[in-house]
Amino acid sequence: MSGPSNKTYDKQNPAFYALLVALVLMAVGPIYLMLVTSLKLNVDIMSDTSRLFFMPTLRNYETALCDFLWYEPEHIRRCDPTFGRALTNSLIIGLISTAITLVIGTMAAYALVRFRFMGRDVVSIWTLMMRMVPPAVLLVPVFGIWTFQFGIDGSRGGIILVYVALNLPFVIWILQSFIVQVPIQLEEAARMDGAGPFQVFFLVVLPLIKPGIAAASIFTFRVAWNEFLLANALSDRNSRTVPVTIVNSLTEFDIDWGVIMATGMLLAIPPIIFTFVASRQIITGMTAGAVKG
Amino acid sequence: MPEIRLQNLRKDYGAVTVIENLNLEMAEGEFTVLVGPSGCGKSTTLRMIAGLESVTGGEILIGDRDVSRLEPKERDLAMVFQDYALYPHMNVAKNMSFALRLARMNKADIEKRVKDVAATLDLTAYLDRKPAELSGGQRQRVAMGRALVRDAGTFLFDEPLSNLDAKLRGQMRAELALMSQRIKKNMIYVTHDQVEAMTLGDKIVVMKFGEIMQAGTPEELYRSPANKFVAGFIGSPTMNFLDAELREEGGVLSATGDGFSIPLPEARKAQLQAHRDRQVHLGIRPSSFSEGSGGIAMPIILSEYIGAQSVLISEIGRQRVAIEVNTVVPIKSGETREFTVQGDEVHLFDPKTEAAL
Repeated sequence: MSGPSNKTYDKQNPAFYALLVALVLMAVGPIYLMLVTSLKLNVDIMSDTSRLFFMPTLRNYETALCDFLWYEPEHIRRCDPTFGRALTNSLIIGLISTAITLVIGTMAAYALVRFRFMGRDVVSIWTLMMRMVPPAVLLVPVFGIWTFQFGIDGSRGGIILVYVALNLPFVIWILQSFIVQVPIQLEEAARMDGAGPFQVFFLVVLPLIKPGIAAASIFTFRVAWNEFLLANALSDRNSRTVPVTIVNSLTEFDIDWGVIMATGMLLAIPPIIFTFVASRQIITGMTAGAVKG
Repeated sequence: MPEIRLQNLRKDYGAVTVIENLNLEMAEGEFTVLVGPSGCGKSTTLRMIAGLESVTGGEILIGDRDVSRLEPKERDLAMVFQDYALYPHMNVAKNMSFALRLARMNKADIEKRVKDVAATLDLTAYLDRKPAELSGGQRQRVAMGRALVRDAGTFLFDEPLSNLDAKLRGQMRAELALMSQRIKKNMIYVTHDQVEAMTLGDKIVVMKFGEIMQAGTPEELYRSPANKFVAGFIGSPTMNFLDAELREEGGVLSATGDGFSIPLPEARKAQLQAHRDRQVHLGIRPSSFSEGSGGIAMPIILSEYIGAQSVLISEIGRQRVAIEVNTVVPIKSGETREFTVQGDEVHLFDPKTEAAL
């Protein structure tokens, strides 16, 4: 027990721990501040004296979610539906754009991996190149096209469309590497068993690339959930997502930090849940036992 | 169970022609083995029959139906793959019933068939397991089972035993032979192992460079190989080939070479007249040597004692030969013994065309 040989970790440099603590503080600090602020009343937030000691309250959360509450909080005179609506918008846009991206993405990736056609490699590389374009570059042309050509600005559909376009390249690219790993013999076996192309895809290939789909869906959902620039340009009052709403609520007359922080906390929850659910699907060795290694 | 005919079958991969002009007939209920070294086109032929590989030219007829342009599922075939190709996300029962479920057979029938086949393959205890939880032999049996539940007209096997270890391979080979006796169906089996071919096939088709070297029963191929390639491919240990010349002395035609002279039977004399005084390749199976006085004195360089038999490595003149003899007591290396070869057990081949004489 006391021998030095099995306690080598005792000799770590203290500076290492200092660095570790600093990193943890940097990561957790802002979240802690957000949580604490969301539980304070505006008086406490603005006052210079009572920084550490305050009465925690859920009022800010009640204000943000007043639309969804079954009771009427007494401190609210008029329920402002903005944050509740934004949360709904974010969820709808995030989930639907993720679903569409995955459906198109898996099929496109499959085609790129398995089918031989002219320009296959070029397409494969260019899908990834498209991802290199920063969204800010797309902002003006997309706004112009969406507004003047398609007339779909200010609708959830327009935002969903642009998110699908934005995420598709990466999803195709990441799923390609998963599909390559599905042994071709499995598809041949399925064909011999009487499966058509779609049955091969849905019954054999899709279940085997579930981990890839889960990883891609986490990525896609988070991008759609956090995106600000394009959503800000394309949304109107009724289709605003949470990030846009938070920024818009910073006005020169009134900044309700408590509600903003409460919304921020609420904003963090869906991606966490989504990631937990999806990451359960990420199991290695899906194709174990299929063919002789 | 219709007969299968391949007519002028051709396969190109781009500019490379793998199979040029293949003609083959397989009778009803016959177990046909395609055998040959790797790259001889046997797997390609099987995959073309299966419909997994497109046909460049020619026809594949099953019964009277030209199936060469049809999808695999329209050909009434079941196939066992070399590396099992089990669906890893389905358990054994689901794996076996996949084809039946696709065909929308009713559930009770599916269950019954899967149970029956699982029972014959000793898989009943494993029906709920995933492929990853099975051993190699069990996976192979599931792959077989998946084909068997289909009740298809023709079964295709693409080197199904090549991934198993030697002992298991022997076992599975026997099971396969029993199975083929029980269900009389068309079976086409691809292998590079001549032992498998000999033990399983009603008919063996030896292929090389996309061409059929010889097709026939195992006995035909062993007793009268059509050319040097077939002679060397079929039989274990492989046939010895010696350079010799046909000479006639005192009315007896004999194959004479460095250190030996084997008189050939009278019956073959007329047929071999044209080759008199010419070079030939002489083929002698290791088992054609028998120990006896008055034969060729041969030094034993190496003796491999297997039990009932020994394989001896020896020399005739300067040419190395293998001899297979029955032994009770191991023969020591370094001895010199005398062996005789009967004239009717040697094979003669034209040195240029390599065709049998």
